[in-house]
Amino acid sequence: MEFSGLSGEVILNTISQLGPLLIGIIVGIAVLEVGLYLLLARVIKTKHALPYTLLAPSILAIVVFMIYPLAFNVLLAFSDLKRTTFPCYSPVAVGECELDHLYGLDYGLENFTDVFFRVRDGEIVGWGRLLRTADSTFPVLLGRTALWTATNVFFHFTIGMALAVVMNTKLRFKGIYRALIVVPWAIPGVIVGLTWRQEFHAQYGFVNTLISALGGQPVSWLDDPVAAFVAVVFVNVWLGVPFYMVMLLGGMQSIPGDYYEAAEIDGATYWQRFNNITMPLLRPIIIPAITLDVIWTFNKLDIIFLITGGGPQESTNILVSALYNAAFGPAATQELGFAAAFSIVIFIILFAFALFWITTSGGLKEIYDR
Amino acid sequence: MSAITTTPKPAGAAPLSEAGYRQVRAIGAAIIATGGLVLAAANGFSAGYLLGGLWLALLLWKPLHGILVSYSIVSIYPVLRVISIALRPTDALLSRSLDIIPPGANFNSFVELFQEEEFLRWIWNSMSITISVSVIGVAIAATGAYAFSRWRFPGRRPMLIFLLTTQMLPASMLLIPIFVIVAQLRLTNNLIGLVLAYTSTAVPFSIWILKGYYDTIPPDLEEAAMVDGCQRMEAFYRIILPLSTPALSIVFLFNFLAAWAEFIVAKVILQANTVMTWPIGLNELIGTFNTDWGKYAAGSVLVTIPVLLLFMWQSRYLISGLTLGSVKG
Repeated sequence: MEFSGLSGEVILNTISQLGPLLIGIIVGIAVLEVGLYLLLARVIKTKHALPYTLLAPSILAIVVFMIYPLAFNVLLAFSDLKRTTFPCYSPVAVGECELDHLYGLDYGLENFTDVFFRVRDGEIVGWGRLLRTADSTFPVLLGRTALWTATNVFFHFTIGMALAVVMNTKLRFKGIYRALIVVPWAIPGVIVGLTWRQEFHAQYGFVNTLISALGGQPVSWLDDPVAAFVAVVFVNVWLGVPFYMVMLLGGMQSIPGDYYEAAEIDGATYWQRFNNITMPLLRPIIIPAITLDVIWTFNKLDIIFLITGGGPQESTNILVSALYNAAFGPAATQELGFAAAFSIVIFIILFAFALFWITTSGGLKEIYDR
Repeated sequence: MSAITTTPKPAGAAPLSEAGYRQVRAIGAAIIATGGLVLAAANGFSAGYLLGGLWLALLLWKPLHGILVSYSIVSIYPVLRVISIALRPTDALLSRSLDIIPPGANFNSFVELFQEEEFLRWIWNSMSITISVSVIGVAIAATGAYAFSRWRFPGRRPMLIFLLTTQMLPASMLLIPIFVIVAQLRLTNNLIGLVLAYTSTAVPFSIWILKGYYDTIPPDLEEAAMVDGCQRMEAFYRIILPLSTPALSIVFLFNFLAAWAEFIVAKVILQANTVMTWPIGLNELIGTFNTDWGKYAAGSVLVTIPVLLLFMWQSRYLISGLTLGSVKG
């Protein structure tokens, strides 16, 4: 019996694949904790036996699932892994291996140089072309990523703040507004991306229908470089506003009303009250929210990937979408060794920026001081 | 407060009192609304004029409600439209109407989705992957987060900073090595490959959220239990774990939400039809504007409704958790 692709056989098959994995992991955790505790407490007799025992499963999982892949990624940056050489690196893939060595400094040097520069006969002849197309050079992508991050965070913050200020007054139907405004946040990202791509379609999408109904000129959103960038920024702003509204509103509601009353009695204008009471008291919420948002937006791949795929003419590519295309895009560009090097460069850029921002603003201080 | 510190507003500055302003605005709003009605009537009861008039009137009469209503529409109209497309009859899929309930609405797209596509299998695959990842995430993180929350031991701070740093990794930085590892282990086209890939991001995330929750449980509780003769671990299992059922269920939900709709990793790792998850399946339906668009919309509605309900129901916890184990504390 089969309905819509699902049958008893499929169900049994899944259980036989995943069941042993789950049971194995849970039994493994129990054995690890008991064994390690006995070792640390009875044999080594350290006073931190209990916390280290409790941590053991987490540490093991992070080493296996996070540190090992990351270390392997660094190794891959020193390899010549691409679609045509895949058989050399994976025993499963079909084909002949033509490389005499798998990993080497020469590959690494070439991969990292390719990120920044284009080299011909040992001479640097220009910026690296990351997707082997003329327009996507490293400085262009970096600049566009900065523009993408800055515009998104700016609109997220200003619109979210405006809505929070309006919601923080005595109003009826507040709960309903809140529920409606939060909706974009709750929709699965893949549906947001795919649906908006259809809605930006020049002929059938509602965006152009609406523009024509209001008497404007239809725009070919996905074919025009500037319009396409506006479209992806719009969708990402639409997605990000609820987070700020909820965070800022929560913060505003925790400010005691006495402060405002006292200021009002002293004759402070609305703007003065906002500037001298609301903003400083919201700082512990604003700074971490912006820090997280910058990191998320910088790395935000799905919206651009689903709506424009980086096109037209690479005009909406940011660093992470160019990286994804370099690694898993059309077969001709699948250069995983180069992409691994590229990913390390991107991470270093973001990390350096985050470090600078966190140390200067004191953001996230609360998190790791505890 | 003394009268000296109070600076009364000069009475003559405003020609109208606040109540007067409100009255003028209400009258203006009524005029605009009537105007909209008249224009709508003159144009064969066109909904556009009527709604436009009402909207302007609301903005003038109650500006705050006007702003919130406008933004609510911006935020929800695209969602309502997906529902509308799912209900459209097949011959009107490409209609350019902006209506929310289309003329001749029916459920054919839903029926076709189940009959012509392997929708149930996609859901089954997504569901089993998601549940496995959530269970693994909770099982691994529960005790580790407790250790981070209660003890100060050597190596704690660097470990926490490392966990925070993992949030900055570009998705592809993990995806490239995991893709190669999964290929080397011959796990492409096997659900286990995807479960392992998702676990790598689920574990640090779960630790953060759980740690944030444990921090809110006063340590006095266990100390009291220990005074009463409990072992530390006994106190954890008897007191903390039962108290953290909400947190454990929230972590479960979080991992669920993250894995349920994951697309980028699944697209790279899964290639065969038998292991397709719903995001991959829906993506294949949307290639072009044809009858599949109705099926895509129907599928989107079906997979979104449970997530939306979950989100509304748990929104308070989800929101504090989404800020990395509650930034505020």
